[in-house]
Amino acid sequence: MNDQVLAALGRYGLPALFIVVAIAAIGVPLPVTLLLIVTGSLAAQGTIDIWWAIAVATVAASAGDQIGYAIGRWGGKELVLRLAGALGKADGLKHLEGKATKLGGPGIFFSRWLVTPLGPWVNFASGIANYSWLRFSVWDLLGEALGAALYICLGLAFSDRVQAVADVLGNLTWAAVGVLIATLLGWKLFSRAR
Amino acid sequence: MISVGRTTQRTLLALGFCLAIAATFFFAFRAGHTARHIRGQNEPIQAWMSVPFVAHTRHVREASLFQAIHVRPDPRDHRPLRDIARAENLPVGELIRELDQAITQSAAGESPAGEPKR
Repeated sequence: MNDQVLAALGRYGLPALFIVVAIAAIGVPLPVTLLLIVTGSLAAQGTIDIWWAIAVATVAASAGDQIGYAIGRWGGKELVLRLAGALGKADGLKHLEGKATKLGGPGIFFSRWLVTPLGPWVNFASGIANYSWLRFSVWDLLGEALGAALYICLGLAFSDRVQAVADVLGNLTWAAVGVLIATLLGWKLFSRAR
Repeated sequence: MISVGRTTQRTLLALGFCLAIAATFFFAFRAGHTARHIRGQNEPIQAWMSVPFVAHTRHVREASLFQAIHVRPDPRDHRPLRDIARAENLPVGELIRELDQAITQSAAGESPAGEPKR
């Protein structure tokens, strides 16, 4: 699957980038980080225009996020839980739902580019929690633009080392998720101890 | 009863906290390890890559790679190696081996064997 996605980018360029990034933003597990880094490498090789690539990736990711938000808001909690259950993430979603409004804009912003595995679940949870659509869209667009620019520029800078850079970023993302979980659990643990 | 429940909950929280810290260090270490060796290792050739992409990542002329796999050089040929292998009736692993050989020869200053076919 990953091979086909990356091969499609090389063959069809920006339309393939748009489709894959949008589908991944809804919650389908696709190698988006590697895809964006490869896009940067293709820009370094002169195959793809970097500005168009950043714009297309930003718009595609935001479109996918809007679908996730709409599913949460208008599809109802049951539909989202069924969807999350099919993807094996029902427990995580229940946990995030309560946090969505509390975390607010920064939670949306950082889940676009720093703790990306949480991104689709934050979309669903924001929709279920009736988080303001305008605020969601603004934070979402800012985060997705930063994420797209960051990963594509890294691909541009390390255009001959795309897999190694994706590997480093993948590990850093999970380390960031670890820090986030440790902070939440630590806060709970020590606030109870007091 | 309530105090046992609370103790269990705190133990689980502490366990989760320790696991999260351990996972953070594990992934940070792996990231650092890969980052340190990022310049020393060659990018492995994958079936999704095109010949111009391989040429770029391994710093060789794409014409010599096309020549090595008996395909007419075309910088606009962005077919993935898997598709080229299928068209040439070759296992993709063999095509990758041929490319690897051509890259090694190119690095050694030899010209890769083979004539363009199409």
